[in-house]
Order: sequence, then structure tokens, then C-alpha cells
Amino acid sequence: MNDFEYEVRRARLEPLFESARSLADASSARGQQARERLAVSSGLSPQGVDFALQRCLETSPSEAEIAALIRSTPSAQVAHVLLSANVFVAAHRAIAIALAASAEVRVRASRREPEMAELLLAGAPGAFQLVNELSPHPGDRLWAYGSDETMADVATTLPPGVALHAHGSGFGVALLEGSHSVSELGSLLSALAEDIALFDQRGCLSPRVLLVNAEPTAARSLASELATQLASLERRVPRGELTAHELSEIVKYRDTAYFAFEVFEAGSGFVTLSHEGSWLMPPTGRNIHVLTTADPIAALARYRPMLTSCAFAGEPARRQALRCALPGARVCGFGEMQRLPFDGPVDRREL
Amino acid sequence: MTRNARSDELHRAVRHFATGDRTQSFSDLALGIAEFQREFSPGFARLCRNRSSLSSVSDIPGVPCDAFRLARVAVHPEGEDRLRFYTSGTTSGARGMHAMRVTETYHELALHFGRSALRANAGAHHVVALAPQLDDPPSSSLGHMMAMFMVDFEQRGQFDVRTSERWLIDDRGVDLAGLARAAEHAAKHGQTLLVLATSFALVGLLDALGDRALPLPANTVVMQTGGFKGKTREIEPDELRAAIARSFGIAQAQIVSEYGMTELTSQLYEATVPGSELARERNGQSGVYAEPPWLRVVPVDPTTLEPVPDGNIGIGRIVDLGNVDSAVAIQTQDRVRRVEGGIVLLGRAPGAPPRGCSLAIEEFLAHTPQ
Repeated sequence: MNDFEYEVRRARLEPLFESARSLADASSARGQQARERLAVSSGLSPQGVDFALQRCLETSPSEAEIAALIRSTPSAQVAHVLLSANVFVAAHRAIAIALAASAEVRVRASRREPEMAELLLAGAPGAFQLVNELSPHPGDRLWAYGSDETMADVATTLPPGVALHAHGSGFGVALLEGSHSVSELGSLLSALAEDIALFDQRGCLSPRVLLVNAEPTAARSLASELATQLASLERRVPRGELTAHELSEIVKYRDTAYFAFEVFEAGSGFVTLSHEGSWLMPPTGRNIHVLTTADPIAALARYRPMLTSCAFAGEPARRQALRCALPGARVCGFGEMQRLPFDGPVDRREL
Repeated sequence: MTRNARSDELHRAVRHFATGDRTQSFSDLALGIAEFQREFSPGFARLCRNRSSLSSVSDIPGVPCDAFRLARVAVHPEGEDRLRFYTSGTTSGARGMHAMRVTETYHELALHFGRSALRANAGAHHVVALAPQLDDPPSSSLGHMMAMFMVDFEQRGQFDVRTSERWLIDDRGVDLAGLARAAEHAAKHGQTLLVLATSFALVGLLDALGDRALPLPANTVVMQTGGFKGKTREIEPDELRAAIARSFGIAQAQIVSEYGMTELTSQLYEATVPGSELARERNGQSGVYAEPPWLRVVPVDPTTLEPVPDGNIGIGRIVDLGNVDSAVAIQTQDRVRRVEGGIVLLGRAPGAPPRGCSLAIEEFLAHTPQ
């Protein structure tokens, strides 16, 4: 890619960034409108929407990140985007990637959450087209986000010659190793609570399990503190409305955990704890399982295909080992799981 | 009184109840067992902790079936297990285990209601299974029950059921010739043929038969049970029943469905077999599962776990007095509705539509290697 082509692509992104910045600004008319509309479509509480816009919408990516995004994105005649629901801020990155690929971008928003794409377009008129159906042709590229089931459906319906970049289901984990002072631990768990609470845990980056190399007593104390942090955060950022299915999954998880594990009530959610061996994948809605294990990195190996992100706190050498063990997952700090560098798709797994 | 002495006493009381002794009511027994389990099962005690009291059957929390995969669900230590039944596994391959310290209760309850539901007459029955040979020791509760029925219904005392003439599925598929021989044997000896089968075995049989029929004696009874678990193509229950009746040349009423789970001690049956005690008592319809007197299915709201009004759909909490040493109440995810004469099963609670990129639990289980 020569400098001219780079600058052309770079210029296509700026209106989108400007639109995002105005949405993040709670004092602007667009920012207020976004908060009202997204609270309805997302099911999050108004505070949850504001929290997500403030913490996760990338309003000032660095030039290095933007350069990485542009240089890692292949060009296309037409770039198509199929957005998923739940994590509404993801529309921004998805559309930015498509704009880096082509001057002609067609976006189909989720039927359950159509607002964010419309809001972005309103602030960047003409930057892309919103369409009801995507109809890519040979030579086009499609970036699709959603469940594995949706990705499989998309793959079977595409005409030959269309390149598909599919980003399916996944989940995040957190690893806590090494020794930390009480205040450091408090900060780490507070940051992790934010990672959990954002989007009420409905995104593929949301952590569902925390692995710790700790004695049972220490792990119990840690789980209890994490529950306290989640409850405290919920007072500031209440959980939104869950579906009947989500509520029933939580009830099943709660009672199974009461029988099989230790349970710590965490506001509306739960922190569950077990030691080595079996654990239970918590449902969405601000629930997390704490698993003690002598070798957290080894314990993660089996879940590698599903892991999108991994928050880590511990020795640098272990962080490097984690990167090697999970090449498809984004390794980041506690509190950074939902605001990863704006350097391309958040999901780097080979699907 | 020691744990085992209390357990033995409860087992005896349940067996007496099953024979019609109502000295203690269903509620008394259920609550007595729940109190016993609360004392000796730490997991159940934790589950009860948030309940204000155990003063009625509806207060007894159901142990989710998943708990059997994740923890030991028993009041006694492993060394006292006399039988261990394993679930056939979810799509994840994870298996749950139901341990039994006292086997007499399981045997008596299963036989009592099995005879009532499946025996078309008082005479001897010739019993074969469309199932693989029983393993030793038996790990499948269904296989174990089938073996029990073979011995009991034949009415000639103990004999070795581990023969290829009894178990008509192997690596090559369904033994159609073996089933034909069993039919001849039953006819020759004036016995009623009872075919015990899983749903996917019956589909396999239909596939093996193709357009052919395999006429069985007119009074043959077929017990079908279980789902398909991805082992074969799925057929709607009514369609499967009609196809089997056609192929065997028997009335559809003689094909009776059983509902059982490894996590339970007891079973439910459709009360349809002509001449059976259960059909005389309940005059059941196909699709309606009759509970034995020592088991109750309570449809509950999946989000509150409170009982739903009669006629409404809920998920099934099953209170089984036979589960003295494990979990007297089991919380399933099966959707059920109470109707006259029993319970209608409506399949597993449907998953929500895919919600973006967050991983659904079922999806996680499907991926998790064991």
C-alpha cells in the first residue's frame, strides 16, 4: 500500500471518528439522543448505556492503532458488514474496518439493535449505506459478526468469490497470578468488575471465568471481594432488563452452583468458586466463576478456540507465555477487556 | 440414629408406600427425605440455605440435573456405593453419575410400576431389548432396568440375560433376524413378546427394514424410551409410533413410551397398553405420562421455580421418593404440562435465539472436550 492509498483510506475514517466522538459526549444533543435510543434497543439500563459509551466507544484511537487497522485490512470492491446485537459500540470498529477496505460500504444492522449504525451514519452522512439485505458479488468482502450459528448460515448463502471474514461466538477469561498488595488486588478486581458489567456481559469479550493460582482460603477471599465489587458497581450502573431465557439460565446456574460449588451473591449476579477440576460456564448477566488451578495457562489450552480475550495480571514472562499459548486471544490488562486497541477486529481467532 | 440407619428406615417406608401402605403420606415421606438429605448432603444443605423452611413439598428445592455432572449427589461416601449409573452424556460428552447404596428400593419401584404399565396380561412374557449388550457392572440405568424386566417378566426365576438373543443391537446394527426369532419363540411358548427399545434404535430398525414389514405377534408390547441424542435422524413421536405399529403389525396403543432419567429412581409411562393394570386404572392417552404414586412432577416457572397453575407449561421438578440417598427433588429443563391423568412432555426448554457473539452455555458444552 503506497502513501497515497493509505491517506485515501485514512481520510475515509475521519468522519466516522467524528461521529463517534459526538455520540460519546453526553452533553451533546446527539449524545443524549444516543443514550435514549440505545437504552431502548439494547436492554441495558440508561447508566449501562452511558457507561458503555464512555468506556468502550473508541473516540481517540492513536495513529499507530489506525495505521495497524488500515494496513491489516485487505481492500475490496465493496465492503459489506453484518452487525450483531448486544455490544452496540462494536458497530463503530466494524464499520471502520469496512471503510478501510473500500469506499463503498454497505451495512446491515442487527434487527434487535439497529440504532447504533443509524446514529453513526447520522453523524457521518454518506460515509456508508445502511441496507436491509446484503447482496455481495464476487470480488466483494463481507465482515460478519454474530453467533457461530449465524456465521454458518452466512457462509452457506454467500455466492462464490465473496471473501468472508467471520467473527463468531466466544468468551473472555481473566488470569490472576503472582503476589499483589491488598490495594492492588482491590484495584484489579474493581477493574474486572467493570469488564464483567459492561453490556451486562453479553459480548464475546466479556469475562466468564477468573483463573487464579491460589490457596482455597485466598481464593475464597478474592471471590468474596469480587462479589462486593460487582454489587458496588451495580449500585452505580444497574443491570438492565434480562430476557426470560437469560433469567432462567441464571436460576439454573445459581442452583447448580449452590449444590456443586461455593456461591457469593454479587448484586443481581453471582460469583461462584471451585477448586481444580470441574467448573460451570456462567450465563450472561454479570456472573463469573472463579477457578483455582496450579497452572492457569495450561488450564486454558482446551478452551483456546473459544477464547477471544484474556485479562492478565502477573509476571511479564508469564504474560508472554500466555500470548504464546493463546495466539488468537487478545491479552490485555484487567479493566481493558472491553476497550482493546483499535487496530483491527477484536477477534483474532482463526475461525 | 446413624445416617445409614435413617436411610434404611426411609427406604423401608418408601417401599411400604409403594405397596399401598399409607401410614405415612407422600408429603411426610418427601419432607422426611429432604430433611435427611439436608443433614447429610452438604450440597443440598447449601441449596436449602436460602429457603425459609421445608414445610411443604413445594418448598423442597430441585437439584439441577447438571449437578450430577459436576459433583457427587449422594449422602453416603463412595465406598458404600452398590450401583453407579452414568448418564449417556450431553453433547459435551460430560457424564453424570447417580450412586445407589440401597438397590432394593430401585428394583422394587421399577418392577412395581413397570409391571403395572407394560404387562398386558398375567402370563409369562418373553422380553428382548433393541439395545446393546449390557455392560458389567451395568453403568446404564436403562440397561439395568431392561435386564430386570427380562428376568421378572419371564416368570421362571433367575437366568443369565447376557446373551445375544436378548440384546438385539451390535456393531452391525439391529438384529432383525434375532427379533424374528424372538417372535417365534414367544408364539411357540404362548408368551407375550415385550420389546424394550430406545427411540433411536427404533429408527434404526425402520431404516434397516426399508419397505419391508416384520410382523410380530398381535399382542406384542413395545416400550420406547429416550430421545435421539444426535445418534440418528429424528422422527416425530406420533410418526415413529405409527411407523413401528405398521411395521410390526400391532396396534399403536401397544407401543408405550417410558420417561426415565439416570438421576431418578422411578419411571413414568403412558397408560395405554390394553389389558395392563395402569391402563385399567388411568385409561390413559398416548402422550400423557402417568406418575407412580411415589413420584410427582411439579411444573414450575423457569425464572422463579414457583409451581405454575395446573394446565400451564413449566419445567419439570420431579419429586421421587425413591431417591432417598441422592436428591429427592430433581430440577429438569424438560417442559411439561399437567393434564388429567398425568403429564405431557413438551421437550427441552427452547434456547433463546442466538444473541450476538456471546457464547451460549449449550454452545460451550458442545465445544468442551472431556
